[in-house]
Amino acid sequence: MTPQEEVENLIARVAMGDRAAFNRLYDRTSAKLFGVCLRVLNDRVEAEEVLQDVFVTVWNKADSYKVNGYSPMTWLITITRNRAVDRRRAMKLPPVPIETADLMPDSKPGPEASAVAASEARQITACLDELPRARAHLVRRAYLEGDSYADLAQATGINLNTIRTWLRRSLMALRECLSR
Amino acid sequence: MSDQTLPPDGPEEDEDRVLAAEYALGLLTDKERALFEAQLETDAGLRAEVVAWDEHFATVIMDEVEEVAPSPQVTKRLQAILFKREKQSFWQHIWPYGLGGLAAALVLWLAINTGIINPEEQALRSDLVAELAPTADGEGLVIRANVDTERGAVQVVLSAGTPPEDRVFELWLIAGDSAPVSLGLLDESESTIIDLPPDVLAVLPGALLAISDEPPGGSPTGAPTGAVRAAGSLSSS
Repeated sequence: MTPQEEVENLIARVAMGDRAAFNRLYDRTSAKLFGVCLRVLNDRVEAEEVLQDVFVTVWNKADSYKVNGYSPMTWLITITRNRAVDRRRAMKLPPVPIETADLMPDSKPGPEASAVAASEARQITACLDELPRARAHLVRRAYLEGDSYADLAQATGINLNTIRTWLRRSLMALRECLSR
Repeated sequence: MSDQTLPPDGPEEDEDRVLAAEYALGLLTDKERALFEAQLETDAGLRAEVVAWDEHFATVIMDEVEEVAPSPQVTKRLQAILFKREKQSFWQHIWPYGLGGLAAALVLWLAINTGIINPEEQALRSDLVAELAPTADGEGLVIRANVDTERGAVQVVLSAGTPPEDRVFELWLIAGDSAPVSLGLLDESESTIIDLPPDVLAVLPGALLAISDEPPGGSPTGAPTGAVRAAGSLSSS
């Protein structure tokens, strides 16, 4: 069984109320999901509360997993990431500053880009590496840390509309790269 | 994580695709999100677009977010929240109480039949009380004495603390300048009831009660031999 099939199998058994499967699923995935919570919230206590909520949801909603078309880890990660971002927004945490010098629109792709692109890198990673490094950084901040446009504007000191334009262009470029 | 490929672009669909990405990232305003979700209801292609973005972004998380072990408290709390109170049958709920009740009835029956408890003694109506304050040797002790002069008995309640190993607590009465008189030993249980003779009852008001630790069986000399652990004077309740 591949790791993906294993997690899928565990979710299916959790949907039938199998507690042993729930505990296995927790052991198997909680460290990664806790890492997601910590990355967004940067606070262990808050992150553990969100993780707890996530697994309560998993226990109660495992039967809805099959119908939504996600791969099993994506389902778990998306629930976790969105729950952590909701908590971060409710707490109104200030964003971590970003150096303006790193954000010049003409900054070149990261030095690692060509090497990564040439290897068997994931498609999304390769595509992120095709973006100017600063733009890729903004996309990662939005996804991994849950920054909103307002957070990114505050973190960079750049006008919100400009940030939004940059990010949307980056997403469009990503989309174009991903469909190649 | 799938290597799901997004279908090729049509320029008129760019706007929706970017919206799907912004939706997946949580970048839309409340109003924009509500509009987009209404559109999702009827547009399976758009739903697939959101799922595809979530898959790609989750890949970034799998690759770039470190695993960190949460504290064991999380799993303990989850077990308590999810499993302690649900999915038990009626009998699973009820048996601890049934067992507890049975055990309590058995203890009571034994106590009465072996003379440890006289049911009438439970109805002690105290008219004199003493809080026995711990001495330097009695740190942590919480002891209270209730005297029912009409019945001629004192109840000593030991709600915190125990005697040192291989020692017992003995209760003493010190009236005026008289030497301490032993009233008896405390049980190992929380509450001990000791009958008091009429000559003792006569001198109780204002007298001092004290607790010392003694060898099993009590002081061999008739006077306290161990350390005084707690003491307090009786006053009307």
